[in-house]
Formats: sequence, structure tokens, C-alpha cells
Amino acid sequence: MAIKILLADDHPLTRAGIAEFLKREKSFELVAEADDGKIAWELIQSLKPDVALLDIRMPELDGVSVALKARNMGLTTAIIMLTSYDAQQYVIASLRAGAKGFVLKTVSPKELTNAINTVAKGGLYLDPEVASTIAEDDFMPEQLSAREREVLLLAAKGLSSKEVAKRLFISERTVQTHLASIYDKLGSRNKTEALLLALKYGVVTLEELLEDDD
Amino acid sequence: MLLNLKRFLYGPRSHFLAFLLCALILPSIAVVFVAVAGMVNQERAMEAAVSSYVQDLAESTAYHLGTDMNLNLRNFSWLSDSSLRYPFFSWGPSIPGWIALIDNNGRVIVASPGAMNIAALWRNDLPVGRAVKIEDKQGLQYTLAVYPVRSDSRAGYVIAAVSWTTLLGNLVIVSTIWPVLIVVMAMGSFLAIRLLWTRLILPLKAIATEIDDLRLGRDLPRQFDDYSVKEIESVHRALFRFSQAAIERDNLRNKYVRDIVQAQERERMDMAREIHDGPLQDVTALLQQIHMTLEDDVNSENVRIKRTEKIARSVVRELRALCDELAPPWMDLGLIEALTELAERLSQTYDVQVSADFDEDDVHGLQVDNEITLSLLRIVQEAVSNAVRHGDASEVHVQLRRESENLVLEISDNGTGFDSENTNHETLRLEGHRGLASMTERMALIGGKFRIESSLGNGTRITCVFRV
Repeated sequence: MAIKILLADDHPLTRAGIAEFLKREKSFELVAEADDGKIAWELIQSLKPDVALLDIRMPELDGVSVALKARNMGLTTAIIMLTSYDAQQYVIASLRAGAKGFVLKTVSPKELTNAINTVAKGGLYLDPEVASTIAEDDFMPEQLSAREREVLLLAAKGLSSKEVAKRLFISERTVQTHLASIYDKLGSRNKTEALLLALKYGVVTLEELLEDDD
Repeated sequence: MLLNLKRFLYGPRSHFLAFLLCALILPSIAVVFVAVAGMVNQERAMEAAVSSYVQDLAESTAYHLGTDMNLNLRNFSWLSDSSLRYPFFSWGPSIPGWIALIDNNGRVIVASPGAMNIAALWRNDLPVGRAVKIEDKQGLQYTLAVYPVRSDSRAGYVIAAVSWTTLLGNLVIVSTIWPVLIVVMAMGSFLAIRLLWTRLILPLKAIATEIDDLRLGRDLPRQFDDYSVKEIESVHRALFRFSQAAIERDNLRNKYVRDIVQAQERERMDMAREIHDGPLQDVTALLQQIHMTLEDDVNSENVRIKRTEKIARSVVRELRALCDELAPPWMDLGLIEALTELAERLSQTYDVQVSADFDEDDVHGLQVDNEITLSLLRIVQEAVSNAVRHGDASEVHVQLRRESENLVLEISDNGTGFDSENTNHETLRLEGHRGLASMTERMALIGGKFRIESSLGNGTRITCVFRV
């Protein structure tokens, strides 16, 4: 059965390009197109597609807000953010809003197919351009210790080193040592990248990240 | 030569008051000395004249009386009839004084008017034939001369006296008043100079200090105290107006600069949006077309198309970078996210550790305008760039915290630092280093305060305080 897809992008040229590709792909069924966030949200509610490709910057309602609405409504539609921007904070914001995928509009058709198939099966897909390790391509991360996973998850929730230290009853310095070790193991350069790579390699799950501990 | 003359004529440039004091006091002292010397000389001359007068008068009268006595034996009754021969016995001498004839027991035989207290003056030890100065019991001074009528002295003595008090009365008063007047004059000069000091020189000095300390364009002169003269007051008022005008001018300039910066930022935001929505999307669409063309023709090795794809990708990256430079679209995500993103990007750009740390409690639910976010992003950008390029820092720490109603953004680094106490933003700006000035302007733009603290060897700390 073909995967039902909704595409929302306010820019006609890029939307047409992606739509053309989706129509050619046998396993996909493009059920609707929208040129602003509000229409996209209405169509998602009425058509209940399997996958929604949403641009982040759109008139009326941005893609992240649409994802958040869908998540809050408990809709089964898997959302992939489709954007021109490689900002890692966009990725974090999208994932927090419940998106399952993040791809850049410059992605190749093969990667896009890959992304749609992954999220349709309940997986997580991140564009290699926003979550690539500084190490080799066939890099596999070293296992994180339980304490390191804890530190990473708390830091990912936006807690400062001081707050993480307080929460885990360890010193701020120890938190920083843990973070340095995490970066090293995942091949990342900063906190956000560490989190994205951890998600990519399945070191932590999206559910763990979204879990509210308070 | 001419300069010396001028200097002499106009008075000295320093120690003016001391000069003025000398100019007033020295002539006064000279006048006192000359006057005293003159009076002493005059008194001596008068004394000599009076002495010889009384001596002559006594001598000649004694001689005449002696001659007459030889004719008229020991009887003085003839004296009353011979008033023509001895007129001064009835009228007194021609200058204030008196003349008397006494017997050798001191009794008055005949005397001119005014010689009543002669008994009080008479002493047995009075020298004979020589003028002396004596004082009676009332303190009145006389110069008197005693002459025996005949050499055997039994015939009595002639006493001629001149009263100093009567003769020189006015002169004595003047000579005592003179020094008093001079002292009064000296005191007057002192008082005048004191006034000059307190009401003119001190206020002038105060104004000079005030001008030295005045930060033009920011301060107004202190409240005026009313001890100085009107002229100083008007100088002060002029200074007040001047500094007020400077403040107004600076405010106007700041407002102008702020307007320019604001307009510039808006334009940049618009431009970033234009690029994002226009060329960036177009090239992305182009790239998609290329991708599909490549896919249609999997087997062919179309080198030119593959090269085109590469070019299109690099154009996309360049356009993204351009947008980030102008006004990054990701700042829409919120201040915390934008600062985190920027810190991570700067870490990679400069290959240093830029950490952004925020306490959840402090920033929870924070809502900040895009304009404020953009200003803060620019400050962080500038600060990190300065820390790395000028301070050679390897770690920069960005912190945002809440302090009562304000948010505080603190950027500290471990670089070499600089002497912030002795660094003038204005001078730096004029030398072409716009960094500090532009950070200050951006904070002013969002109504916040900008502070930079640094010292050599201790890194730099930038603090921005603003309201949300």
C-alpha cells in the first residue's frame, strides 16, 4: 500500500519540484499540497496522511507549530520537516514538537525516499548534513555509560551544567568531564550535535528526550 | 625688553593676589615711615625754635628787669606802671605760653595770664639759663627757661614757658591719627583682597575644576553657590548653557546613530527574508530539477550536470551563509535557541570553545522580541570575534540570567584582556575600531546597558543588562 503524503511549502518552485518527484515514486501517494501552515493543518486533520512534509517557515502557521498541534491531538501522521536551513536548533525544535524527521530541501531524491520510508515505519530520520559526525563515515559510537546518558538527556532538556550537577548530586566540573567524554565518544563538537548524533545512533530515543520529568 | 615692560605694566600672571597685596601695602608703609620721619624732624625743629624763643624771652626780660631794678631798688611796685615796657606780663608772649617773675622762694611776683599753675611746675632743681621740657600734673607739656634777674639771684627769676599742647595741639592729633588711618587702610586692603580671593579667585578656580571634571555631553555643572560676584555667576551660567547644549547635541547624535542602526537592522532582516524566500528557494528548486534529471538518466555519466549540481549546492550554502550574516532566520526560534545555535556556530568558525549556558528556571517561558534577539546575537558575535582575534582566547562563556526584572547577558573569555579603565570607546571608534562602540549602540537601541570590564592577563567580561 502506498504511503499517503501531504506536502506543505509556500514556495511554488520547490513545492513543484518535490511534488513531481513524489508523484513519480510508485510507493508514494501525494494526497494534498498546501502553501501555508493553516491549510496544511486543516488538510492533515481531514485527510490523516501517513507522512506530512512541512516547511518550517510558512505564512499563517509555521511547520513547527503544525507538528506540535498534531502531536497534541495525538495524530498518527509522521511529520518530516523540510527546510532550507541547516540550523541544529531547528532540528531540536522540530523533534521537541514531535517531528520524526528533518531533511533539507536540497536533499537527493534517494535520501528523501529513505526519510519517508523510515518515518512511515515509526523510525527517526535526520539529514546527514545536520547530523553528521566529524569522524569517518562508517563511524560507530562507543557505548555511553549510564551516567553519561543521564547527563546528556538532562543537558538536552536545556539544563545548564550547574543545574545538571545539582540534579545528579555531582560537581559542575564532573558534569563538564562527562560532557567532554560524550562529545568524544559520539564524535560531536557540542551539546546539540551530541544529542542529534545520540538520536541518530539510537544511543538515546526520541521518547526519552521528550519525556517530561517534572 | 618689550615683553618685560608689558609684564611689568600688566602685573605678574601667577601670584596675582600677592602682587596686588604688595602694591597696596608697601606704599602705605612707605607713607607711614616718611610721615613719621617728617613729624619727628618737624617736632625737633619746633622744639629748637621754641627752646631758643623761651630762652631769649627769659634772658632779655631778666636783663631789662635787672637794669630797672638797679634804679628802683628792691621794690617791684613800678612794674604795674610799666606795662608798656613789659607788655607780655599783661598779655602773655606772642606765641601760646606765659611769662612770670618769681622771687627766690617760688612766689609769683608778676605773671602773664595763663601762668596760674606755675607753683605746680616750679621745682628747685630746674636748671637755670637753659630751656627744658617738663610736664605738669595734668600731663600738659611745656618748654620753659628760667633766668635769674640779677647774678646774685636774690632778686628772683624770670620764667618763660610755651605750652606744647596749645601750640601743637592739632599737629599732635594729626600725628596720632596718621598711623591709625594707615592701619585702617591696610586692613581695608586685606579685606578687599580677601573678598577678591573668596568671591573671584576661588569661584574661578572652582569653575576651572568643574570644566576639567565635566564629561561634556553627559554632565551638567553643579548647583551654583552665591558667594561669588555676578560676573562669575554669568560665566557659570554660560557654562551651564554650554553643557546643556552639549548634552542635547549628544542626545541628538545618539538618537541619530540609533535610527541609522535601527534602519540598517530592519533592512538587513528584510534582505535576509528576501534572499531566503527568493534566490535560496529558486536555487533549491533548480537543484531538485538537477537531481531528477540525474535520476532519469542513471546510466549516463553526465559530467556537466553533476558539476552543475555541485555549483548549485555551493550557491545554496553561500546564500544560507549570507542570510546568517544579515539576520539569521533561526533567530525566530527564540533567544535561548538562537544564542545556543550561534555559540555552536562560532565554536566551529573560530575553532574555540564557546559555551552557552542557561539556567532553566531563569529562562523558562522567555519571550523576547526579534529586535532584541538580533542585537544580542550581534553583541555575542562581536564579543567572540574580539576575544579570539585580539584576546587570543580559547574559551568563551555566554550566560543569560534573570536579575529581578532584568535579563543579564554575560560574555566572559579567558583571553589576554586589555586595560579597560584607560580605553576610550570614542577614541577607538575614531581609530576605526567600531566593535565596542557598535556593541554599546546596540544595547542603547534596545534600551539596555552595556559594560565591559577587563584588565591585562585576566580576560574580558562583557555585561549587557536589559528589560524584557
